[in-house]
Amino acid sequence: MLQINNLSVKVENKIILNGLNLDIKPGEVHAIMGPNGSGKSTLANVLSGKKGYDISGKIGFDGKNLFDLPIEERAHKGLFLAFQYPVEIPGVNTTNFLKTSLNTIRNSKGLKPLDALEFLDIVKKKAAKLKMDEKILQRQLNVGFSGGEKKKNEILQMSLYEPKMIILDETDSGLDIDALKIVADGVNALRDKKRSFLIITHYQRLLDYIKPDFVHVLMKGKIAKSGCMELAEELEKAGYEKI
Amino acid sequence: MIEELKKTFDTFNKKICLWDEQKSLRAENFKKFAEKGFPTKKLEDWKFSNFNQIILNNFKNLNIDLDEPTEYRSMEWIDQENQFSKTNRKKIKFNDYLKDFEHNKVVFTNGFFNHSSFEQEKNNAGCLWHQDLESAFNERKMTLIDKERNSLSLLNNAFFTDGLYLRVTKGFQLNKPLVIYNVFDSAKGTNFFNQKLIIDIEEDAKIDIFIYTINIGKSPVFLNTYNNFNIRRNGLLKLFNFNDLKKKDLNYNCNDTKIDVNGVLENFIFSNSSEYFKNEINCSLEMYGSAFVNGAILNTDNQNHEIKTKIEHLDENTKSYQKIKAVIGKNSKAIFQGKIFVDKKAQKTNGYQLSKAILLDKESEFDSKPELEIYADDVKCSHGSTSGSLDEDSIFYLMSRGLNYYQAKNLLIKAFLSDAIESITNKDVKKFFIEILDNKLDGIK
Repeated sequence: MLQINNLSVKVENKIILNGLNLDIKPGEVHAIMGPNGSGKSTLANVLSGKKGYDISGKIGFDGKNLFDLPIEERAHKGLFLAFQYPVEIPGVNTTNFLKTSLNTIRNSKGLKPLDALEFLDIVKKKAAKLKMDEKILQRQLNVGFSGGEKKKNEILQMSLYEPKMIILDETDSGLDIDALKIVADGVNALRDKKRSFLIITHYQRLLDYIKPDFVHVLMKGKIAKSGCMELAEELEKAGYEKI
Repeated sequence: MIEELKKTFDTFNKKICLWDEQKSLRAENFKKFAEKGFPTKKLEDWKFSNFNQIILNNFKNLNIDLDEPTEYRSMEWIDQENQFSKTNRKKIKFNDYLKDFEHNKVVFTNGFFNHSSFEQEKNNAGCLWHQDLESAFNERKMTLIDKERNSLSLLNNAFFTDGLYLRVTKGFQLNKPLVIYNVFDSAKGTNFFNQKLIIDIEEDAKIDIFIYTINIGKSPVFLNTYNNFNIRRNGLLKLFNFNDLKKKDLNYNCNDTKIDVNGVLENFIFSNSSEYFKNEINCSLEMYGSAFVNGAILNTDNQNHEIKTKIEHLDENTKSYQKIKAVIGKNSKAIFQGKIFVDKKAQKTNGYQLSKAILLDKESEFDSKPELEIYADDVKCSHGSTSGSLDEDSIFYLMSRGLNYYQAKNLLIKAFLSDAIESITNKDVKKFFIEILDNKLDGIK
């Protein structure tokens, strides 16, 4: 699904990622942990196509060269990033935004757009599963949302678009225990043999609810250690310094 | 150009005017105009655009249709479905009405009355009107000379043709908005039009007026419009401006509004078409009166649009609220000059003013000049002005959800300008402007 080969990323001549390799196969859930400043969010941004990075290396996504795809085509082809800090956009109604983006993605797949009623039916059900207040969908996108509401809104989008490759960038930060469980349930409901996940997190906490197949430690711009769930537990006890 | 215009005026004044008194008033207005000339940057009110230069660059001559016959003139009020068909003048056919909301209509073509319909009303007896302003002026001994006034309104006073003199009588209320269609067609080489509306909203009366200005011709026109609104005690006027002009057209529009005790003006301007458009909004407020002036400017192709306001709070407990949003690109310029004047009598005034602009590129310009002149000591007045570019993080977020760059950009522009459109309290009209904005944005790449 996603093959990252020797990825190096610089910002204003500062090396952030330095020869990172990672191979995520369909159906696998990978977790990347790492201390502050290790390049976790940069990796997420580079994958989704944010500008301003000096990039070398190769990334294959579902048989294509990821760097050949503009930002929106990555989304059309099933790459989804749940943002660490979802942007507040005043004046854009949340429901309208969700409908527009879902229909754009459907359109790119040759599916017919959903009309307002069909869409509302789906979005209401999905929002209810995430225990989101329906009223929030009538508000301006992320404006005045609490930290938890913003993160749930990301997960709602994920469940609407049904992407193939999902990147969660510190989705657990800012969530209380109840919200964390709800979000994890949302993620687990989407797990299947074809869909892959890359979960970026500081803490083991989220991984208690979403059991990853592989855990990697990102340090100084590359994968310093890989393992399975036990590695995350080890990190929780001993910290990153021992790696 | 002014010499040529003088000759035109002399011929025009002989033809249009039936009364000597009116003739000499018009002549006096023209003389004052000729002394002042077209406004230049030297005038404080015009410091951001040299109108004299703009008009000289765009027009060799200003031509008026001098063939319009005047024999149909008579002084009579029209209070029923268009009864007025005495004229045998060749009229421009126009029936391309707005389909988006039900409305009553009065249609002017090339500055002269064409037809009207109050089909949305069972009873429009409370709406008295006359389209022959010349007669109305004569009968009411009205004069519109103001030595301090800028020269374009003097020019309008000299050259105005038909227009609407409308009285909404005490307590009367129309069910549907009145759309005033100002249709221009530059056939026969005419390119200079002076329209005038004089509207009295009497005590407790209410009306929604939508001024729709269209150029259906091929060559550019200069429209010089000057309107007077009088909102009496408890009266309400909702006033909407929408221009559908051609690329090289110029439009100067000036609205003077007097708002009496507890009267309300709600004004919305959508400023988008034509190369040059200046809207001057002057309001004076008596006790408990309020004025809401909102505008959305979308200039994306070598345009220069300005909204200039002057709100005078003359007595206690008056309120004014102004919000102007502008999106500017491709070598365009938008200007907001907003003045709030608070008389020493006008305690407990609430005056609020905000202008915000998004610049789409480095070649575009936004000029903002807020002015507060306050002589009372117990008032709340504020002003704010910001300008910036589109937020790159928001664009990235939207694109990561599948929207392409233009879709993302247009969604953000729409969100930004909708903020001004949302202030419209007539639901149908609000929907109309949102759709217009969508259409305009679809056309921008």
